[in-house]
Amino acid sequence: MPGLFSRYLKYGWRFFSATALLVLILWLVYISLEQTYIFHWNQALRSLHNYNQGLKITLSISLISMFVSLGLGIIIAMGRLSRWTIVRDLSGVFVHSLRNLPFIVVVLLFYFGLRQAFPIDRLFSPWRRVEIWGVPIFDGRFIWGVLALSIFEASFIAEIFRGGIQAIHKEQGEAARSLGMSYFQSMRYVILPQAFRVIIPPLTNELVALVKESSLLFIISLEELTQTARLQYSTGRPFVFEYYTILAAYYLMLTIPLSILSHFLERRLAVGDRNR
Amino acid sequence: MIEIVEVHKWFGRLYVLQGINLQVDEREVLVIAGASGSGKSTLLRCVNGLEKIQRGQITVNGISIQDSKSNLNRARQQIGIVFQNYNLFPHMTVLKNITIAPVKVKRMRTEEAKKRAMHLLERIGIPEKAKSYPEQLSGGQRQRVSIVRALAMEPTVMLFDEPTSALDPEMIKEVLDLMKELAQEKMTMIVVTHEMGFAREVADRVAFMADGQIVEVAPPAQFFEHPQDERARRFIEQIL
Repeated sequence: MPGLFSRYLKYGWRFFSATALLVLILWLVYISLEQTYIFHWNQALRSLHNYNQGLKITLSISLISMFVSLGLGIIIAMGRLSRWTIVRDLSGVFVHSLRNLPFIVVVLLFYFGLRQAFPIDRLFSPWRRVEIWGVPIFDGRFIWGVLALSIFEASFIAEIFRGGIQAIHKEQGEAARSLGMSYFQSMRYVILPQAFRVIIPPLTNELVALVKESSLLFIISLEELTQTARLQYSTGRPFVFEYYTILAAYYLMLTIPLSILSHFLERRLAVGDRNR
Repeated sequence: MIEIVEVHKWFGRLYVLQGINLQVDEREVLVIAGASGSGKSTLLRCVNGLEKIQRGQITVNGISIQDSKSNLNRARQQIGIVFQNYNLFPHMTVLKNITIAPVKVKRMRTEEAKKRAMHLLERIGIPEKAKSYPEQLSGGQRQRVSIVRALAMEPTVMLFDEPTSALDPEMIKEVLDLMKELAQEKMTMIVVTHEMGFAREVADRVAFMADGQIVEVAPPAQFFEHPQDERARRFIEQIL
């Protein structure tokens, strides 16, 4: 297929030229900064192993929170669509109160407030030094970080799911129910698989947001990427610019593949699509 | 088999069904005719509980449809319905569309369900489409698949809600032919349709609806030749 090849060539050229332009701009910024700031890249890059440890924490906290918030989000979305008013109202209050709070406030509220009232991390205190893949997952800060992040994100994901479910025609649910399926069967086999296609792009955006928001967990001194970068200049080598540039590069490494994945899935899933 | 007694239904201030009484016997084919907005489709949707009725009773195979204590999912396994817009599941292959309900609802073994689905597809002459998706089929093929999807649950009653209204004229016949076959096999059927040729040829009785009421029920010959009700007479004049 010559068409396919030339299309790759075209995209290849666009990718190449955009990257070249970006590198040129960064280089110009860099040489102008060099007039007033002395870079110490060699020394700064020596602390990369600290970043890699921070990356592990950020990765594991994001991954766990993704799963928890997806599960919780589906449940809350179903609650929002329930036929019982009280369930609808409760899940509505949950969604609206969390969505309208800044994440950092949620973190503070959970770690310094709820933790005092419900010290659930103490249940795990015998294992607090246990590390899996170098990550102390039973540490109080880790547990509360996951809780704050997944519950906060669940409120956004619930709204995405609700939109997706409502975007699937009412008739699809009627057809499923008419065949004798229960409410949950019709959700499981008919509505949700179709809703997933609709919501993949907004959902991936939300997962990117989740990774980015995990950076605010530095406030409870959880040593994820951002806290790691912050701790570097307490080592007596204040190469602030370098440290934060490295930090930014690490986050881009995490979030850009996610965005590309979203784009890829969007096109893959469009294949068996309908024409309603 | 199907008993509809003094059924009333309204959407807010819109009074759609105003006291419907109707009885459909086993192996009977009943065609419901009437102008748009007369409540035909709503009545049909009430029979399998897709619409809730405000007053009256509907009983299918002895199970009350409006009673909150009866198991509607179980009752619906006995009632197949075919919609105007097919409502096939777009994310499943044709085969999966047909097997999903027997496997998940009736707990039939997958191989068994597949075997039966292939028989059904052979019956409608498109076994080669088993692996296709609904969007790859023509309108007539889609509607025939949606009929056999309902048949796969082995219902005792089939409801048809304007099954040919969304089809191109050249595809109407293949769908009507399949419905005729079902009628010859003595399936109990309620058909809402504008196809009066089908009604004349296949129906045991024709019920004519106007303004949310059934104003006339008669065998097709009598209904088409000597309509009693004034509105039925005008309707027949318009379509013939």
